[in-house]
Amino acid sequence: MTKNFIKIASILALVISFSACEKEIKIDVPMSKQELVVEASINQLSINFNYVILSTTLDYFNPSLSLAAVRGAEVYITEGDIVGTDTVFNIEDRVQFFDYVDTIFPGIYLSGDFRGTAEKPYKLEVFLQDGRSITGTTYIPKPKTIDSVHFWLEPNKVYTNVFFYMNWLDGPEQDNYRLTLKTGYFPILTGWGTGTRFYTFDDSQINNQPRPFLNFAPYKYNDTLHMYLATIGRREFLFWDSFRSAANNGGPFATPVSVKSNVEGAIGSFTGYGLTQRSVIFRED
Amino acid sequence: MFPNSPKYILFLVFSCFFLVQAVKGQNITISGYVKDSTNGETLIGATVKNKESTIGTVTNGYGYFSLSIPPNTKQIICSYIGFEPRVINLNGRKLSGLQIALIPENREVKEVVINSDRMDKNVRSTEMSRIEISGEKLKSLPVVFGEPDVLKAITLMPGIKSGGEASTGFYVRGGGPDQNLILMDEAVVYNPSHLFGFLSVFNSDAVKGIEVIKGGMPANYGGRLSSILNVSMREGNNQDFKYSGGIGLISSRLTAEGPIQKGKSSFLISGRRTYIDVIAKPFIPDDLAGNSYYFYDLNLKLNFILGEKDRLFVSGYFGRDILDFKSPTNRAVNFNLGWGNSTATVRWNHVFSPKLFSNTSVMFNRYELFNDFKFGAGGFSVRSGLVDWNLKSDFTWFAHEKHMVKYGFNYTFHTFTPGILAGNIGSTNINEAINKQYAHEYALYMLDEWNVNQRISLNYGLRAVAFQLVGPYTQSEFDNNTGLPNGNTKSYRAGETMAFYPRLEPRVNANYLINEVSSIKGSFTQTYQFLHLATTSGAQFPLDLWVPSSRLIKPQMAQQYALGYFRNLQQNAYETSAEIYYKPMRNQIEFKPGANLFFNQNLENEMVFGEGLSYGLELFLRKKTGRLNGWVGYTWSRTTRQFDELNNGKPYFYRYDRTHDFSLLLSYQINKKWNANFVFVYGTGNATTLPDSRYAYRFGIDPQTGEPQFVFVDRYSAVNSYRMPAYHRADISFTYLRKQTKKFESSWNFSIYNIYNRANPYFIYFLPDIPSQTVKAYMVYLFPILPSVQWNFKF
Repeated sequence: MTKNFIKIASILALVISFSACEKEIKIDVPMSKQELVVEASINQLSINFNYVILSTTLDYFNPSLSLAAVRGAEVYITEGDIVGTDTVFNIEDRVQFFDYVDTIFPGIYLSGDFRGTAEKPYKLEVFLQDGRSITGTTYIPKPKTIDSVHFWLEPNKVYTNVFFYMNWLDGPEQDNYRLTLKTGYFPILTGWGTGTRFYTFDDSQINNQPRPFLNFAPYKYNDTLHMYLATIGRREFLFWDSFRSAANNGGPFATPVSVKSNVEGAIGSFTGYGLTQRSVIFRED
Repeated sequence: MFPNSPKYILFLVFSCFFLVQAVKGQNITISGYVKDSTNGETLIGATVKNKESTIGTVTNGYGYFSLSIPPNTKQIICSYIGFEPRVINLNGRKLSGLQIALIPENREVKEVVINSDRMDKNVRSTEMSRIEISGEKLKSLPVVFGEPDVLKAITLMPGIKSGGEASTGFYVRGGGPDQNLILMDEAVVYNPSHLFGFLSVFNSDAVKGIEVIKGGMPANYGGRLSSILNVSMREGNNQDFKYSGGIGLISSRLTAEGPIQKGKSSFLISGRRTYIDVIAKPFIPDDLAGNSYYFYDLNLKLNFILGEKDRLFVSGYFGRDILDFKSPTNRAVNFNLGWGNSTATVRWNHVFSPKLFSNTSVMFNRYELFNDFKFGAGGFSVRSGLVDWNLKSDFTWFAHEKHMVKYGFNYTFHTFTPGILAGNIGSTNINEAINKQYAHEYALYMLDEWNVNQRISLNYGLRAVAFQLVGPYTQSEFDNNTGLPNGNTKSYRAGETMAFYPRLEPRVNANYLINEVSSIKGSFTQTYQFLHLATTSGAQFPLDLWVPSSRLIKPQMAQQYALGYFRNLQQNAYETSAEIYYKPMRNQIEFKPGANLFFNQNLENEMVFGEGLSYGLELFLRKKTGRLNGWVGYTWSRTTRQFDELNNGKPYFYRYDRTHDFSLLLSYQINKKWNANFVFVYGTGNATTLPDSRYAYRFGIDPQTGEPQFVFVDRYSAVNSYRMPAYHRADISFTYLRKQTKKFESSWNFSIYNIYNRANPYFIYFLPDIPSQTVKAYMVYLFPILPSVQWNFKF
């Protein structure tokens, strides 16, 4: 009797533990007012990450991207100077970004001439055909060099999981970071979205000392990993930190998250990246 | 002396009590305790009255009574539901310190009783919005996993809403789960959850009874806005050694009790542990070996009758939830999370005179969370918690047959430990702590239960409360725009006041007896709350933090107006009531969307402050006796919140606003062996926030395929504007009394939860459907039809 009870109890308990189910339901949510979205990125290292993408919010239940792009806008980025406590932008330094690839990827604005400079401020100006405009400012902080990268195999065998940690020196000033990881042989990011893992953090826990970064999700033996470590401004950090929460929002205890935009006239961010890059192949020579 | 001066007010108050003394007649006073003859446990709410039923009283929370009767009274009658009434001859007896032992009715034909109230208490007392459930009733209700649960049981009553199947949080008349004061033998329980909210910390074997006050809170209670849940632990059998327990699907319970000195003192020790980790072990694959989850708790109670006038109770609770996780991909990664409550209470009952009863308690309680995270190159350890030391003294003065006065004080010293982080990554050491906070909380109260005449009775009182946040503390100022310290700090010495909030809480309950079977009652209460739960989930989680009122965080405040009509039918066999309430709330706290609550030095900056409003109608019909008994309750209510920073400043529905709420509980004694219970509940779906647009972000173009890559981010324009599907389900349970002798008793409880397999919403999520270029909505539900079985024994 007791034996049977335990047997039945074991099976029932296991079933119950994993018994959450789901089903499709119909929901009618009216769409809210359409809003502009801007994703503007500049850096001092690579011309490939200097772009402005314009789009609009979409009806929640119709995610077609072709409706989202904003075409025909005039887009400018101006490099400025910090004079004392003032930031000065000259209109002569204004560089226009064009939608060169409009026929393939509408809404993406690029410039062949623009290259960012570390420790310089920048201004974004966007003028739409319907009269609306978007403005924003950012700053490219001084980049931090990745000092070392270590990796090990777990367990200690070939063709199994690989973990790594990297180090850089965090200075006494307040620093904010975005770290993007990408695997594969192609070393260049064609837009931040081609990264495979993204991390946003500041130095509130570890300041003014060697800063380690450790990964817990493993790679495979022979993987090539490209690490893009960027320093960003505080307002840009607040945007990307809230973006991380908003993009990973879900589950029973999720609460709605609104991103903290640092631009006027749209949702989104104008981010200056003080960028460094390093690659490693997880292989024992 | 001036009419508005404090001296004048004091004069009035004392005059009132001296007047009470002056007007008393030449009656005699009888007093004592009423107890169960089989185990010596005191009986709460037993009726003591004269033979003509013209004068009577009920025993208090410690089983004590005091009754003023004419000197020529020869006999009194003592009764309690489920026990044989007993006539006590007073001739030649000592009239104080009576020990009245009642004999249970023949258990084989005993009907299951819903509670132990005096039969017409519903109509006659000034109390309204109050519910009591016995420990025995609690065990017979059908529940998920077959595990009897206090917090699930009370949500079957009108005005009390469940947070959901995976939550022990409950919501009373529009208040949040942190606005309920949960007491276990008078000690505060800050986190009442086990198993991440699926079960509560209360072991049904150790529970004597529960009392919920959801409105009309008398002045002897305070500290929370919405309700009081008072869980009394059993005292232990002072006649014989007894053992009882139960074996269920996920946990087992074992209780031992007995006399330390027969008739004079007793002990009770009760333990419970889940064993899903042990049962599942053989089935877990090797790469998941070492992962486990379990909880346990232990209740202990000692009870000493020191003499005719003194009783001493020592009780304690210790419970822990432990989650161990070892990464299947990296054996060096080990995560250990634990949390739990510890409480200890020492209570001393003293009878100063037949008319003056006191209870003095010293309590300690602690909630702590510990989290150890180890990985190959280092590890972290995080600790947080809250510790209270509490001293309270309550006096009951049976001043006159028309007046019963209660007064007392309560002092609590709080220590908040929001977080201590220590660890290392490689050679980099991390040591950080969020400053501890200290606070004193004071309360002083006095109330009078006044039977003005045969028809009108009043319970009026005043509770004076104060909260004082003190140093040592170093307060850093933060820039609201960047979330970073601006470099300014202010240091407070040990004991120096950082914030001080003195407040007054008037309370009035009135009862007008229309006739012997019906009455109209009204109440007004004002309450303040100085501790606030920092959570964004709406459920109560182990990581949630309690934070004190401070310079920026003002105390929460609520007022509640309630009016009710109460009528009993068929010689009190049926109770009916209709209550309306209106409850405005101020200084309500919410967190900004996406707020980071974990290890945040600047938590106050994540908060927003606003107002709440709840109003509703509650209807209740209860059948208390007979083979078929039970209740049916219905609530219509509306609860809103308004915060300037949320929903564009417009009022919005509270997450647990439930327009219609219906519950039905039926118990039927089929025969001597079989008893059946049936539960049906229905509730309007919870209000929830859903996205109404989305946008693509973090673009990239795959260099090999040329395909765009991005993530969708949801956009929300209104808070809680969507309703989840309605919640409803029916459960059934059968209890089979297998064997009953004087020495051994065993029973089986078979229950089926959700008998018609209703898919009740847990949460909703969305997935894009590429072929149809649409987004589809999916609802996750937790418990389909779930049978369970439990074996209970006693010897």
